[in-house]
Amino acid sequence: MSQTTSEPTTEPEPQQGLALGAAPGDLLQRLRTAVARRTEGRAVALLTLVVITVAIVEPRALTSYPVTLGRIALIGLVALGLTAVILMGELDLGVASTLAVSGVVMASFESLTVGIIVALLGGLLIGVVNAFFVVIVGINSFIATLGMLFFLRGAAFVISGEQPVRVANADTALQFGRPLVGPLTPRILIFIVVFIALHVFVTRMRVGREFYAVGGNREAAYDAGIPVVRRVFTGFMISGFVSALAGVINAMERTAADPTAGGTVLLASFAAAIIGGVLLNGGRGSIVGALLGAATLGILQVSLTLSGVQVDVQNIIIGSVLLLAVISDPASVRRVMARASTFLSERSKPQPAG
Amino acid sequence: MNTRRSRFVGLLAAGALILAACGSDDDATDDTGDDAAAGEDAADDAEIDEDDVVGDPDGEFEVFALLPQGNDQPYGSTYLPPMQEMAAELGISLTITNSQYDADTQASECEVAVAAAPDLIILWPAVGDTVRPCLSAAQDAGIPVTITNSDVNPEDEDLTRGYSGPDTYGQGVASAELMCEAADGAEIGIIVVNGLTGNSTAINRREGFVDTVEAQCPNVTILAEQPGDWNADDSQIAASEMLTAVGPDNVQGIYAADDTMAAGAIDALVARGLDPAEMIITSIGNTFLGNPLVIDGSLNGTVFQSSSWDGENAVTLAHEILTEDPSERVVRFMPDVKVTADNATDADVAPEW
Repeated sequence: MSQTTSEPTTEPEPQQGLALGAAPGDLLQRLRTAVARRTEGRAVALLTLVVITVAIVEPRALTSYPVTLGRIALIGLVALGLTAVILMGELDLGVASTLAVSGVVMASFESLTVGIIVALLGGLLIGVVNAFFVVIVGINSFIATLGMLFFLRGAAFVISGEQPVRVANADTALQFGRPLVGPLTPRILIFIVVFIALHVFVTRMRVGREFYAVGGNREAAYDAGIPVVRRVFTGFMISGFVSALAGVINAMERTAADPTAGGTVLLASFAAAIIGGVLLNGGRGSIVGALLGAATLGILQVSLTLSGVQVDVQNIIIGSVLLLAVISDPASVRRVMARASTFLSERSKPQPAG
Repeated sequence: MNTRRSRFVGLLAAGALILAACGSDDDATDDTGDDAAAGEDAADDAEIDEDDVVGDPDGEFEVFALLPQGNDQPYGSTYLPPMQEMAAELGISLTITNSQYDADTQASECEVAVAAAPDLIILWPAVGDTVRPCLSAAQDAGIPVTITNSDVNPEDEDLTRGYSGPDTYGQGVASAELMCEAADGAEIGIIVVNGLTGNSTAINRREGFVDTVEAQCPNVTILAEQPGDWNADDSQIAASEMLTAVGPDNVQGIYAADDTMAAGAIDALVARGLDPAEMIITSIGNTFLGNPLVIDGSLNGTVFQSSSWDGENAVTLAHEILTEDPSERVVRFMPDVKVTADNATDADVAPEW
């Protein structure tokens, strides 16, 4: 998407130590600076708002936490992979189709193990192809992945013969949907593992931290000697792999792969990332933010369903939350305030006598 | 349930306004708790808006209805009101979801429903092949499940207590009988426009039609078949291609698996300068689109699928399971009423969707 945004790389900064011996003023200033650098503030506020409301009105959404965690993992897994691409200022519109085709590919094999391996490798390959079109051919990622979206959706229909494909070993697949550790199902456990792995990758590893530089200012990243092409390849491969993983999990849990799967995944995963403070232009955001966004959406959806709110009204509420997340961005607020101030000051200037 | 829902929406709206008014992220949460509590008190005293009532708030039974469509589809929008009215009449409090034909969303909604521990779950499968985990989870939790509109696969039937809805095979049979009656023993060639490939309704309707034609009127020959994907435009293209392939002079009839596709096929005939009234055309649905075509003679006959019957019977079957606890699986098929020019204007077959 945006190749040369001027947004500085602000995430993740090494944690500024708050020296014990610092003066109170200094300490406060450092704390404010540290908080200002984070991008998850809005997500935390929204999540807190939602959790408090739900705790009062529909506490079953919290007491039935395995169900809510399952919904968060359903929304969040793809969002985590997508965040890796968005951090670099790119988009991957093919995530839902990758999910669908991966499930179909996995279910097409007699052996679950072989099917899973092929499906996951397929996800990586899809990421490579996406990245090739974006950084080698030079096609805008919106257009390149839009094409991939249609291609993969069609491929899912062709491979499946336009009907759901039952997993060969349905009994094993059925067990996959059952709790493995306490109330946690394999989906939730895998989600936790992916979250930790990606969080560590983008905050603790040089390769991951360079995603922010690529997204924040690509020209500067080139000048700094960062292998931008390789980083973009890595990002798309992560997104493809995680989407394929989600497809495999879905097919296992449902005991069948549906070529139409993932109809709501694309928008939900983008919404989770945006609510989590991930800037679509790249350079800002975090994996934690995407998790918070997914948690907000997941808790909201489960509690609205438990409360019997119709899907139309649910969409209005979720859309409002999304809009709220966007318009309450401090940068947006500052911009609006500046424009209002300019407008008012111009109005208050004395008009030339005519 | 409804008080809780009104409260919830109100609180979220109030919270959203607070957060927006703050204009920054850090102050919002401080006020939320107080507002939420205040909102709850207010909501306790609030009257329930009649428009928001789903079922009877004091219902004897709590039932989750997991549907793949609702007011977003013509069929669903005329399925829901009779369902809700019948629920209110029978003392059932309904919680209705709409997965928009996303199997993963419906699976997640099923988990929510099982966690809520209702007295029964009504399921309209978004994708029939993917519902077994949901049915197993409900069975493990001791929650009976009834199926509406589209039955589950035979191997999953033992996990459900009953089915109400159209007999999709029987609909194909009825449409074939209309075709046979209209052909009246004459040797004719027809083209067939099927529904979406792989869709269970499309498969069953086709089987019912083909089996009946072969058994009852072998004088009717199927010259070509193509899917029209439940869509008028695709059906028009499919019919046009088949007319070209087999030659328009060889075609004396068309069977389309629903009225929308019949309308598309009729458009294809008109575009070629052929008169639909001179052909034998049968379909299924008796919709707002199909019924006028029967009246004007373009469509020889269609089979009535009543969305109101479907919605009502989903609830009456659930109530029967809850109150009578029958030992056998109950199957209640929608009557396959044939609609021709003779009865198309009768009130009892007035189109509903």
